[in-house]
Amino acid sequence: MKHPSKYFIAACLMLIGFCQNGKAQSINNYIKGHFNGSYENYSQTYMQDDKIGAFMPQDKIGSNSFLKLDYNFSKFSAGIQFESYLPSILGFFPIPTTNQSKIVNKYFKYTDNKFSVQVGDFYEQFGSGLIFRAFENRQIGINNAHEGFDIHVEPTDFLKLKVIYGRPRKLFEYANTVSRGVDAEININSLLKLKEQDNGLNILLGGSYVSKYQEYTGAIDNFPATVNAYAGRLNISTNDVSISAEYINKGKDPNLLNNLSFEKGKAFQLDAAYTKNNFGATVTYRGIYNMNFISERDVEFGSLAPVNYVPALTKQHDYLTSNIYVYAAQGKGESGLQTDLFYTFKSGTALGGKYGTKLSFNGSLFGALKDSNNIFGLGEKQEKYYRDINMEIKKKLSKKMEITIGLQQIFYNSSVIQAVSNEDVTAYVIAVGGLYKFAPKKSIRFKAEHLSTKNDQGNWASALAELSLSSPFAFFASDLFNYGKTKNHYYNVGASVTKNATRFSLGFGKQRAGLFCVGGVCRFVPAAYGFTATLTTSFAN
Amino acid sequence: MNKLILTTVALMFTATVAFAQESFPSIKLKSTSGKTIDIAELAANSKDTMVVLSFWATWCIPCINELEIINDVFDEKQAIKPFKFYGVSVDDSRTAQRVKPFIKGKGWVFEVLMDINSELKRSLNITDVPHVIIIKDNKIVYRHTGYIAGEEDNLFEAIKNL
Repeated sequence: MKHPSKYFIAACLMLIGFCQNGKAQSINNYIKGHFNGSYENYSQTYMQDDKIGAFMPQDKIGSNSFLKLDYNFSKFSAGIQFESYLPSILGFFPIPTTNQSKIVNKYFKYTDNKFSVQVGDFYEQFGSGLIFRAFENRQIGINNAHEGFDIHVEPTDFLKLKVIYGRPRKLFEYANTVSRGVDAEININSLLKLKEQDNGLNILLGGSYVSKYQEYTGAIDNFPATVNAYAGRLNISTNDVSISAEYINKGKDPNLLNNLSFEKGKAFQLDAAYTKNNFGATVTYRGIYNMNFISERDVEFGSLAPVNYVPALTKQHDYLTSNIYVYAAQGKGESGLQTDLFYTFKSGTALGGKYGTKLSFNGSLFGALKDSNNIFGLGEKQEKYYRDINMEIKKKLSKKMEITIGLQQIFYNSSVIQAVSNEDVTAYVIAVGGLYKFAPKKSIRFKAEHLSTKNDQGNWASALAELSLSSPFAFFASDLFNYGKTKNHYYNVGASVTKNATRFSLGFGKQRAGLFCVGGVCRFVPAAYGFTATLTTSFAN
Repeated sequence: MNKLILTTVALMFTATVAFAQESFPSIKLKSTSGKTIDIAELAANSKDTMVVLSFWATWCIPCINELEIINDVFDEKQAIKPFKFYGVSVDDSRTAQRVKPFIKGKGWVFEVLMDINSELKRSLNITDVPHVIIIKDNKIVYRHTGYIAGEEDNLFEAIKNL
């Protein structure tokens, strides 16, 4: 399999070159399907820095590459994904890997108006993903694409069905398990043949069933080789209001992450939102118990071939200091709330001024379950895991200048979130940022932050500046400084050049060790010191 | 099975020389106002009015900076040359529930589509957000990745000249 794959890649690359070459225009005219692809490389060099804990691995360079090619022709599409790690960036995979290059995904898909079938590696999601989600996140090193088939059918106007069967990817191989599932969604409006409502009323009812099988040859009686999970969901929305609820029940699923617990898992999520005239608000409640749903029961890391997706329902900040203390959802059990408010004071009003003022507020609170496995409600004496209260004001002062002010208070339970015995952290962040356009297409963006805390490593300060002299070049410099305890500087300088869909950036500096979270999934990133280079490009005929 | 799929994929890539019909993948996304939009149909109807898709997320600050500026001059630019504009949110289920309140609270006037498991993003080979593409006459005629202040002018120039 290995050698044919290489020849196949070579053939594909030649085909790309052929299509992209202007001299091949006469042939290109006949290729009327839609071809597109992308290439992404992230490379890092490593140098020793004992002060921040950056060590020199055996390979002084890490390099991750992804090449993806897709072709769409009429109702057919097909594609491959090739990945190369020479070796992988430190911390990218939860377990060390040697140099690897491989076609990891290949698929063929047929799509008609009411029917589609995909054979090969596929991504899919049922409901919010709490019961099943096959997805890729390259920044975090997760790819649990399933190899098998994924069928979508709309037998009537009101019913959508999805059927999946496959084995999930686990690093460069496939997990020794099979997932199979069905998801159905009923549009109540269509079912009852309701006329289009002025208020935009729409009701959706959904249900999912997912079953995972992994052979068991151990000595424990009644050990479940098959784990079944069921979910039901309801979404009611109008133009201004929406309410959605989802409940999941997971059968006995003893695995390493839940210490071989024979208890059932369950989850409940309720979202409500309201919008009107430059105002938007949302509230989410979620309670989960024993919801680490992983393909292989004996893996120690949830990011290795997960079946479902349990993100932290907290705000993803872009402040350097705020990201020192980020929450990770506790699949064993947690309950909590998050709320968001957004409002724009229109231009011409007292608080809006000439250009308007934008205001946002976010708050979240998560903690232990009220009782051992009661997923409804917050406990009166709930052990607190995480709390974040933050707000931001953004104001355009003139055509050339805008300013942003952010405030945040964080409570962080280190011993639960990081699973290390450490004191709780209460921290306060203030951030001031701005943009100044000093000439057409020339601007400077800056940000200064301060985090104060009496706990852990004490106070931090950071500064960031991005200079754009004229497209396509941009330069940046930043420093994150712990002046409370370690006196460590985490500086970074670099430049980027962008042309159409191609971007290259080169940087040099230090990376803080810590929990790195993207899209709700976290991995621990070790400290690093050295150069980083990123190249991304997308292309199409 | 692997060999069968690889062979089929290879055939797809090579057999296209002999046939001729252009199309985008039929991917249906829901908008925040409840409509279902088929990207293949959108692209097929882009002969007279181009379609601009701006991929973004509520956690992506450069994306928001770009869309806020586009929103500020949206009507003005539409008056010069009409174009269909969609923000395509790649927020997943961690942040998807924030999208509608977010855009309403910001007062954005354009429609936003929800690409909740990145199906369209993956299909169009978009690696990072922000990423803007223009589709005209069923072809991608412009694409740009990243955003730094001032780059919206390049987009508007492209819209004007295409």
